[in-house]
Parts: sequence; structure tokens; C-alpha cells
Amino acid sequence: MAKTNLKEINRNIYDIKNKDEYEFKIKKGLTPEIIEEIAKQKNDPEWMKEFRLKALEVYNKLELPTWGPDISELNMDEIATYVKPKTKINDSWEDVPEDIKNTFDKLGIPEAEKKSLAGVGAQYDSEVVYHSMREDLKKQGVIYTDMETAVREYPELVKKHFMKCVPVTDHKFVALHGAVWSGGSFVYVPKNVKVDIPLQSYFRLNSPESGQFEHTLIIVDEGASLHFIEGCSAPKYNKVNLHAGCVELYVKENAYLRYSTIENWSKNMLNLNTKKAIVEKNAQIDWVTGSFGSKISMLYPMSILNGEGAKTEYTGISFAGKGQNLDTGFKVIHNNKNTSSVVNAKSISKNGGKCTYRSLVRINENAQNSKSSVSCESLMLDNISISDTIPVNDIRTDEVEFSHEAKIGKISDKAIFYLMSRGISEEDAKAMIVRGFAYPISKELPVEYAVEMNQLINLELEGSIG
Amino acid sequence: METLKLNQTPVRTSRNFNINNIKLNNVEIPEKVEEFTNLEITGQTNKIKIENNLDEYFLQYGAGDILINQAKSIANQKLKITIDSKTNKDLFLKFQLDKKNINLIDNIEILANEDTKATIYIKYYADEKIQGFHNGILKIFAKNNANINIIIVNLLNAKTNNFMSIDSAISEKAKVNYTIVDFGGKNNITNLYTNLLEKESDCTINTIYLGKEDQLIDINYIGELRGENSNINMEIQGALKDNAKKHFKGTIDFKKGSKKAKGNENEFCMLLSDTAKSLALPMLLCSEEDVEGNHSSAAGKVGEKQLFYIMSRGFEQKEAMKLMVKAKFNTIIESIKNEELKNEINDKIDTILD
Repeated sequence: MAKTNLKEINRNIYDIKNKDEYEFKIKKGLTPEIIEEIAKQKNDPEWMKEFRLKALEVYNKLELPTWGPDISELNMDEIATYVKPKTKINDSWEDVPEDIKNTFDKLGIPEAEKKSLAGVGAQYDSEVVYHSMREDLKKQGVIYTDMETAVREYPELVKKHFMKCVPVTDHKFVALHGAVWSGGSFVYVPKNVKVDIPLQSYFRLNSPESGQFEHTLIIVDEGASLHFIEGCSAPKYNKVNLHAGCVELYVKENAYLRYSTIENWSKNMLNLNTKKAIVEKNAQIDWVTGSFGSKISMLYPMSILNGEGAKTEYTGISFAGKGQNLDTGFKVIHNNKNTSSVVNAKSISKNGGKCTYRSLVRINENAQNSKSSVSCESLMLDNISISDTIPVNDIRTDEVEFSHEAKIGKISDKAIFYLMSRGISEEDAKAMIVRGFAYPISKELPVEYAVEMNQLINLELEGSIG
Repeated sequence: METLKLNQTPVRTSRNFNINNIKLNNVEIPEKVEEFTNLEITGQTNKIKIENNLDEYFLQYGAGDILINQAKSIANQKLKITIDSKTNKDLFLKFQLDKKNINLIDNIEILANEDTKATIYIKYYADEKIQGFHNGILKIFAKNNANINIIIVNLLNAKTNNFMSIDSAISEKAKVNYTIVDFGGKNNITNLYTNLLEKESDCTINTIYLGKEDQLIDINYIGELRGENSNINMEIQGALKDNAKKHFKGTIDFKKGSKKAKGNENEFCMLLSDTAKSLALPMLLCSEEDVEGNHSSAAGKVGEKQLFYIMSRGFEQKEAMKLMVKAKFNTIIESIKNEELKNEINDKIDTILD
């Protein structure tokens, strides 16, 4: 049967390179002096400067992971960890410098803001250049701002939560993040406030041989709800760029948070991101993730179900093309009674790309009557690609219902035959099957983002019979 | 005592998940062993050649280098079993550890030549009072069209440490069917690697395990599919009571060239107490497009509805539990054709679950 010719992602929009112009770029490398200079440039309070320096000590003590993709090409002596763009933070797109605004225009951010978002944050290199939120949400007490402003204006709230969910000792790149973090978003949704329309932060890395280390901290207070979307992209350069962001989510009693990510970093990016949520009684966190870009990704969002009746769902898709090694998955810790988790992970490998689904489900001794259901499916589109599934299931009590299923294979010949027998061409049949494969994820996204995802997957199958 | 790091997975994952290997601190590996005299060989001994001179062979994985080296250098039982024709009668090897035979280190090679057929039972027992040591390696070569059934029965006591490294190389259209009954051993560590080398090679692994008290069961099965239309099926059913702990690592690895190969893996662990622990890593690795791979893994307690139903028919809870475990194990136990052994296994389940 003819090969399915699935187009590589059209990266024209994402590959727009602006001139590497900045107000300040820290010298490459990682030393206490460099960390102090970042703290000075960012006008950090003393506690934050001390925090950064301690994180650097932890970074120097921790080893690189002994598992997963080979990241030995990463040389921190060749990475500039802080690049300050030539603008301050703005609340009007008109005030954003032309070249930066043009980039976000082409990415469709201001347009999306008008049509379907309640607030937008846009980061360019190491700093947020635009932040805005609807007035009615401000009146209800919702805070949506950049992290630096939060550190200054809400010090107690930030101190109480900053890197408590993800401690710097978690792994080497979290420690690195703690030392050099810059930018990102802070969201606080007060008790019982429902934010019906999503907020979105978009992270753009333009500067070559640099890193982006944004910090996202979201607190959804009791009975409140929020949908938060993050997007990320960068143009491609010859040398590696690094993304080591950190996302900390606190979902309080009876609260709900949906965290959606469309990740489309360039194919020279090492994406070593960390995301974790602490979920309290009867609260719920849902993760929706599309991973398309980067050269190497190691990304495993984690839900810690601390409260009785806490719930989580993870819906994710990875698409690895030529030269990509996407090692992604999900971790959940059931830490209380009646908690539940549902995982639905998919991957597509093509043109020599490698997708790995790596996961952990741990149901602790005190998590009686908990349920967990995991399903992962991998689609191989040729025989030069690789697809691995590496799930760990750690069950420490008997009062549980746990199940895990995984499938690996190519597009079913039978399914193609069935569709063709109904008068559909082979090409269309294959396209339909691949779209159907991705549908459980795209249906979870707001329609504009589902369209973006479909563009990213670019499911148009070309006439490639023979 | 040196910490033993054993049973490494073919691919590592995060160290925090505690499954890349098993570390044992309380096990002494004997440097010298006495002769082992309590081996009984019965059954079809005239059509199967048994000698003590082994070929120099290689094990791809094994439970650990220290154990492999020990078995290769100081084994106190060496057996090479050659099968040259089809035989419908079975061969039984029964190793019994006792006061005079406290350490068993066996090195067994089975060579099933082309177009042969045989069933071989390898059984391990230990007297209740002894604290024994067993380290075994088993290499199987199944040549073209050979069809070999291997039944390994571990009914060692709960004080004896048990280590087993198994490796099979399966040629064109050959079949190796393993049935493994894994009930004994204080630390019970098994490594089984099977290499489906050529087209239409086939391997089935059916395992039942049962853990009680502080038993640690660490199972590491690795199937590599290389031949076109090759096939592997792993079915693992287990139950844990008291503080027993089980690690199951099962890997199906579709190598390049294994077109139209199929691999299925199903693992289910019944938790019979709230302090028993089940850790599982069912891996699927795939470098070939035109294959079908599936795995499923589940854990939980005995279904309350079924338990209630059985108890409403006049059974006590313990008896009802035994029935449920036996029902789960039944398909695998029934695949054993030897009635005497089947009864023995069922009796052992009763004893362990009492």
C-alpha cells in the first residue's frame, strides 16, 4: 500500500527572525557573578537574589538525568540566560516596538485577544513586553500580571507559593530555572470567581544562543475556575537554544483549572520544562498539551492529588518529525481518598522522529477508593521512526481501580480498505484516520486553537500514491 | 555485605520511579559451593540426551553479572539437554534443596534441533526449615520448526533467595512456550530474555506469581522481535498478600525488520491486603512501522461483588478469596498437562493463602 505522505509542519510563520536587538544581554555561562547581575538587572528584592544564588549551588551539585534523550550537546557556557528586550512592559499593542509587535501579529496573538481571550501576556526573550486583562475581571479581583510585578506587588502571596510546588531540588534544570528565571505570568483567581473566557500567555524566544526561563504561577482559590493557555515558539538557529520554564499551579478546594499548551519551539530548541499542580479537596486540574516543536523535549506535567476527591485529566499529543526526539508524558500522585486520574496520550512519529511516552501513576497507601485509567496510542508513519512507551504504575494500596492500556502500530490497512469500499479515495481515507487519531485532543481545545493545532499537524495528505 | 544491583531494565527511566533495577542489601552470594546431589531426572530420558559438558554460550541480559559469572564458573549442577526428535513424553528435572544441599547453582542448556518437539519441566523445591540459595541460568536454542514447552515451577520456601536468568534464541518457525509458576523465594528475582530471531518465530510466556509476608518478587521479561511475522505473548497473573511486594518489568521491543510482527502483554495483579505493593513497567519499544503492539496492566483488590456472590453460596471469605485467585490463575494452570503437578500447584495456592 502507498505511503502516507504527511507534510512537515509549515514553520514559515514561526521562523520569522528579528534582528538580535536588545537592551541588555548577559554574558554566556553560569557563575554567581552572572546570577547577581541578573538579580541587579531585574531589581530583585534581597530574598529573591539569595534564592537565586542558593538555586545555583543546587544546580552545581545535581547531575544530568541518566535516562531519556541525550542532552550532552547542551553547554551552559554557550548560553546567555538573560536577554532584556528594548522595551518596557506595555498594556497597549501600539506601544510595543514595531518589530516585536509584527512578530506577535503574525502569530495571531492580538487578533486572538480581540476575539476569544479575557487577557493576554506576551513575552519576548526574557521579559514580558505586553500584558492586559479585561476590566470586569480586574473588578472581580482577578490578578493577571507578569511575575516581576507580582514579586514586587504581591510579595507575601509569591513568597508563600514560589517554587514550593516545584522545589529547586527536583532536578538539575529546575535548579537552573530557580537561578536564572525571568518573565512569565502570575494569576490569582479569588474565591468563587469563574473566569469563563481563557487567559493566554505567549512566549517567544528570538535571541540566538540564549535561554528562556519564564515562571508561571497560578493560584485558583476555593470554588473558582480558570482556563489558561500557553503558547511558545522561536525561529530556528544553528546552535542550540534552551527553554527551562517552570509552571506551578495551586488548585484550591472545589476549584477548577484547565491548562492548555500548544508548544511549537524551533528544531534547535532543547525544551526541558517542568510543570506541576497541587490539587486540593474536590478540585480538578485538566491538562491539554500539544507538543510539535523542539529538537529535544523532556516534559512530564504532574498532578499531585492531595485533597480528598481531587481529580485530574491529561490529554496530550506529540508529533515528532525529522531530527526530533520528544520525550513527553504525565505523572500523577494520588495522595488522598477517592481521587481519580484519566490519561489519554497519543503520539505520531514520522520521518525519523522519535516519540516517547514516559509516565508515572502512583497511588499511595492513603488513597483508598482511588481510580486511575491510562490509555496511550502511538502511530508510526514510516519505518525509520521510533516510538516508545515507558509507563510506571506504582500501586500501594488494594482499594483501587487501576488500568493501563497502550497500543502501537501503523494506520490500519483494514480501516483504509473499509473507507475505500465506501467510495473514499485512499488519500482521503488516510487523512481521515490521522485526523480521527488526533481528534480526542483537538476537541479539548477552544476552536481557534484546535485550528492552530490542525495547521501545525498539517494533515493535508498529498497525492503520493506509489 | 555488598549491595547487589540486579535486573536492570533495557531502557532506563527516572531514578525516582524506583524501577530501573532492584537493590538488595541482605543477600550473600556464596563464593564456594558443595556438590548438589538432590536432583531427580525422570520421564523421557532415553530420547533426550543429557550431558554435563556445556557449550560456551552468551546471555544477553541475565539477572546480574555477578550471578551469571557465578553460574558459569562454579555451578554445582551443569546440564546440557539435546532434543533430536519429536517426543510426546515429558522430561522432569526436580531440584530439592535440603540440609545437605543448601546451595544450588544450576547451569542448564537446552538445544532443540530442527523439527523437534518436547516438554521439559524444571521444578525447584526447598525443605521448609532451610535458608537456601538458588541461582540458575537457563539457555534455550530452538532451531527451525522446533516446538518446545518449558514449565518452570518455583515452589521454594519463603526463606530461600531465588535468582533465575533465562535466555532463549528462537529460529525460523520455532516456538518456545514458557509456563512459569513463581511462588517461592524470599527475594525472588527472575530475568527472562527471548530473542525472536527469524521469521514466524514465536514465544509465549504465561506466568502466575503469588507473594506473601515480606516476599519481594522482581520480574524482568524482555522480548525482542527481529523476524518478520514473529510473535510474542506475555500473560502475567499474580496475587499479593501481607506485605509482599512485586515489581514487574515487561518489555516488547520491535526491532527494525520485524515487519508484521505482533506483541501482546497483559499483566494483572490482585492485591489481597492494603499493605501489599505492586509496581509495574510494561514497556513497548518500536523501530518498525508495520507491527502491532499492545500492552495492558491492571491492579486492584478482589472484586467485592464476585466475593459477595461466592460467599452468599456458603463459602467463608478466605475460601472465597482462594476461589477467586484460582479462577484468575486457572487458564495458565490448565495449560499444564501434568495432573499431578496441577494438583500440587492448587494445593500450594491453598497453603499460601491460608
